[in-house]
Amino acid sequence: MGSIIHFANSIFNPIIALGAAPVMLIVLTVIALLFRVKFTKALEGGIRLAIALTGISAVIGLLTTAFSAALTGFVNSTGIQLSITDVGWAPLATITWGSPYTLFFLLVLVVLNIAMILLKRTNTLDVDIFDVWHSAFVGLLCIFSGANLFIATLLVVMIGVMKIINSDLMKPTFNDLLHNDNNPMTTTHMNYMMNPAIMVLNKIFDVVFPWLDKFDFDAAKLNSKIGFWGSNFSIGIYLGVFIGLMSHQDMKAIFVLAFTAGTCLELFSQIGNWFIKAVEPLSQGISNVATKYLKGRKFNIGLDWPFLAGRAEIWAAANVLAPIMLGEALILPGNHLLPLGGIIAMGVTPALLVVTRGKIIRMIVIGALELPIFLWAGTLAAPFVTHTAKLVGAFPTGVPKGQLISQTTMEGPIEKFLAYLVGHATSQAGMYIVYALLAIAGYILLFVWYAFQMKKRNRAYADAKANG
Amino acid sequence: MIKILTACGAGVNSSHQIKDALEEEMKNRGFDVSCEAVMIKDVTEEMVSKFDIFAPIVKPDLGFKVTIPTVDCGPILYRIPVMAQPVYDQMEETIRTLNKK
Repeated sequence: MGSIIHFANSIFNPIIALGAAPVMLIVLTVIALLFRVKFTKALEGGIRLAIALTGISAVIGLLTTAFSAALTGFVNSTGIQLSITDVGWAPLATITWGSPYTLFFLLVLVVLNIAMILLKRTNTLDVDIFDVWHSAFVGLLCIFSGANLFIATLLVVMIGVMKIINSDLMKPTFNDLLHNDNNPMTTTHMNYMMNPAIMVLNKIFDVVFPWLDKFDFDAAKLNSKIGFWGSNFSIGIYLGVFIGLMSHQDMKAIFVLAFTAGTCLELFSQIGNWFIKAVEPLSQGISNVATKYLKGRKFNIGLDWPFLAGRAEIWAAANVLAPIMLGEALILPGNHLLPLGGIIAMGVTPALLVVTRGKIIRMIVIGALELPIFLWAGTLAAPFVTHTAKLVGAFPTGVPKGQLISQTTMEGPIEKFLAYLVGHATSQAGMYIVYALLAIAGYILLFVWYAFQMKKRNRAYADAKANG
Repeated sequence: MIKILTACGAGVNSSHQIKDALEEEMKNRGFDVSCEAVMIKDVTEEMVSKFDIFAPIVKPDLGFKVTIPTVDCGPILYRIPVMAQPVYDQMEETIRTLNKK
């Protein structure tokens, strides 16, 4: 036995010692090969992932180096403890994809999806492999909080089952929002796991503020007026100026902050694209294998959320919510994130669209009410994000020790609290077990109530179609 | 050169799948196309006017009238070649109506 371990160590240790980027290059290439991707395509994906990891590290370095002094100055001059840098979705996605556990959770979720199709528990084949990182993030945070791999996997599978069921529940609403009954598009995206909570607020809205609906405005008109003023680089510049002024920097430093933030926000989405391309051969490979085994079955296809991105309400709500979130972040107790990279709340507004079916005032009011949950979840996850970034070599060494990174509007905030509680319940037992069980029970019950509401909605759609 | 504009949420995932697929397939069919992928919220009337064909996932509500031909490219994202075929055919037909080399 000892000699086997010694032999394995002698092979794997030198590879692991090479660092995260080369390890992930090898792991991603090998896994793609297992799904019968051509060697050159598989290797291309692996190399792209290594480059994305290296690139994201460089940009995080650029941003945190430029902002760390200003954020300290901000805290000193305002007394507001907002010291965590909001780097937006791309660094978090890249860091998560930089962990080999993500590929493990991916395989588990692919098997789960195929099993649910074969058992006729869903009609959705999820081909959105890239967004597995949202689920993997929950699993990794759970492990970071003290869980073992088995418990973390159970949590990921539980949420995975609900996400797949949710994709079926939402399908008629998607058809309604797209004005098209003849398409297979649906999604298992994590952001729609906020639907149950939003539906509760929507019901309250029905009772308290139904008169507000008549103030709904033309979202597309608002967006076309905003034009480039709402683009990544502009937002970086406003926030750079804002932080510079609040932290009493001189003019020269303010310009540096503004242009650095603008540059970083543009580069983050560019590099986000590199690593999506890295996962592309594997995504196609898995889809090919899955469709081969499921021949003859007709199903809906689970995509990334933006097949709804043509709905103007998503962007109008995100534009209006951006300054609201900034205001909330400044006064919200327990929040330490200063909105920057995640300020356009793409992880928040699609679920608002689905639940309210495009009632823009409701989207904004409910969005403003739920944003604190995202800010707290982002704050909660910051030590984990920073730790994982360091682990995969995506965090610059020159940045001060206490400097943390996270995201303000990452999808799945409630799931992050679950991961935290389940992790602590595993490692510390005691009252954490009670809290974790209560939280999971509440989470499931709320989803069951939501599913009931959605089935009622779907029956109304079916009746309208039959009568129409 | 035929210039195609596509767009999605963050301008990096779905739209790039469409871009890569269209560029490869149209090249195979003998057309010289170049496709640009952007964030849908950054699409302006002026931007659209610089392209020959608009290729969104599903026809969006942009707040202005799109005057260039539009081909919905959602089925490319399904990752099942037979489902993407009609989109490519429609794209080819649209390119031919432009009478451009």
